[in-house]
Amino acid sequence: MPIFCLGVNHKTAPVEIRERLAFAEKAIPKHLGEIREIDQVDEAVVLSTCNRVEIYGAAEDPSEALDRLVDYLVGHFEVEPGEVEFYRHEAEAAANHLFEVASGLDSMVLGETEIFGQVKKAYAKAQETGATARRMNKLFQQSFSIGKLVRSNTRIQQGSTSVGAAAVDLAEKIFGRLDGCRVMILGAGEMSRVTAQSLRSRGASSIIVSNRSYDKAEELARELEGEAIHFDDWMHRLDQVDIVISSTAAPHAVVHKQHVEKAIGDRRGHSLFLIDIAVPRDVEEEVNEIDNVYLYNIDELQRIATEGMSRRARQLDYCRELIREFLNDKGIEALAEVPPQRRSAPGENSTENSASDPAGKPLPNS
Amino acid sequence: MDNLFLIISTGIFLLGFVLAMQSLRKGRQGEVRLNLWLAIIGLIFQSLFLKIRGEMHGRCPITNGAEVLVFISWSIVILYLALGRPFRLSLLGVFSMPLIFLFQLAAIVWLALADPGPRPPDQLDPWLELHAAMSLLAYGAFGLTGIAGIMYLLQDRQLKSRAPGRLFYSLPPIRFLVDAIARLLAIGVALLTIGIVAAFFMEVRPDLLHLGASGAVWVIYIALLVVCFGRKVAPKRLALFSIVAFGFALLTLSVL
Repeated sequence: MPIFCLGVNHKTAPVEIRERLAFAEKAIPKHLGEIREIDQVDEAVVLSTCNRVEIYGAAEDPSEALDRLVDYLVGHFEVEPGEVEFYRHEAEAAANHLFEVASGLDSMVLGETEIFGQVKKAYAKAQETGATARRMNKLFQQSFSIGKLVRSNTRIQQGSTSVGAAAVDLAEKIFGRLDGCRVMILGAGEMSRVTAQSLRSRGASSIIVSNRSYDKAEELARELEGEAIHFDDWMHRLDQVDIVISSTAAPHAVVHKQHVEKAIGDRRGHSLFLIDIAVPRDVEEEVNEIDNVYLYNIDELQRIATEGMSRRARQLDYCRELIREFLNDKGIEALAEVPPQRRSAPGENSTENSASDPAGKPLPNS
Repeated sequence: MDNLFLIISTGIFLLGFVLAMQSLRKGRQGEVRLNLWLAIIGLIFQSLFLKIRGEMHGRCPITNGAEVLVFISWSIVILYLALGRPFRLSLLGVFSMPLIFLFQLAAIVWLALADPGPRPPDQLDPWLELHAAMSLLAYGAFGLTGIAGIMYLLQDRQLKSRAPGRLFYSLPPIRFLVDAIARLLAIGVALLTIGIVAAFFMEVRPDLLHLGASGAVWVIYIALLVVCFGRKVAPKRLALFSIVAFGFALLTLSVL
């Protein structure tokens, strides 16, 4: 029984269309039941994220099934016939599409890891609902293996893809682990907040916020579970922090070389990383000349992010080659001929086939 | 047969370095892992060479310059495998390989031109064996310290340039490299101290030049250890000093 894929993603449909087609997470079991009620569709998995809405399935006649699925989507969601151009893949093309999706090769941010978890979740949901059998089980299990293979053998995840990620990656190249790193924010702007949150998500602690308006500093400190200090005091605390994020609205430099020289002298060999995201810049350029001090401004971080994106793009061919090699070796398991399977009713858990190999042994959890 | 093992081992380290450079250039992760296996295979052939030479002499195989170079290379690989991997410094192995290749190439040429042959001792002095073996193991640790120092300077340069290149993503964080320098310095100083203490119990007292050279190396590394743990110098200078100190230690080998 051939497999198929129907969907839209960030490349084929604008957000206005994707948001209308998005499946509410709670409603997915109901939709899976309805999809499997459609004559022809034997198995189904719905993958609905902010960048894609895709339905994978198995049907005797995939072309017919795909037509009916389009009708179903048009009938159930607020889209007009012809308004959406769905991509339709069958057999090997459908499998290859899923393998690229799970590997992050079809993502808006190439190589991002979140999609892997989303594919796993979509599969688990379909499995719980009893909407999967041998074909989808094999297909998704294999996509997890390929996703892992690509991520661990290539550098598709390497390189920052946003200013925040660039700042975090640089901090990790200086301090290794960010657990226990202390951060100071100068100027309670949105960019500072986002960058501080990125650092915090990787373990940075003890955030000090300093702003000309103390109320704003307090507000941001509360949000980040940090400490607010008066703007006149930041230089006295500079020796106590590892990372400084500066984005004040000052028309001139706020952090001078002598401030940093004094702080670094008291830090006994510990590095200091300054992220200057203000325009005009807050930190004197000469600060980068001090040993053990690393200063990056907004343009440099942006350049690293742009370079990171193209670095990932350059890995694309190699990733695809790796997938091809893997499939040459193992083949697409979901396309292998198997004995006819009993079609389970919607909601019925197809335990006899779920996550099992042909010998009936459970497949390892991915 | 011993020379064949040495040649194979040298070829493996060269291959490991070339493959690692290629994989770093192309950005292929898997081949960097292959490098670890090549280091292990290279170590096996190094060990076979040293075993045969040890049996031939009836003592620790460090009776001539060629064997000393191989012994130091062997200790670099051992220490890398013991410390590099657990502390996420896999690239330490890649950077060690050119040094090991050069040392072993020099040893191959040395043995081809003037292999002094078996040199069994008149009477085996265990203190002398302990002194020599511990001192050369310490040189292995100092060698790795110098390599970690080079890696630190490269990564610091990448960070300072504010336009990190390909190497930036492969090199470890500078904090890890400083920690590795500190750890290797401590290990090296401990081993050298044992070696020097053992020298006091040797039947034949070492000559003044030998004593002076060993003492100078010991003092330099003790000083480095103190400034490192006392955080009295910036990490960049510590990295630079560890490279210079290893250069000096290598020079003293000609005396020792």
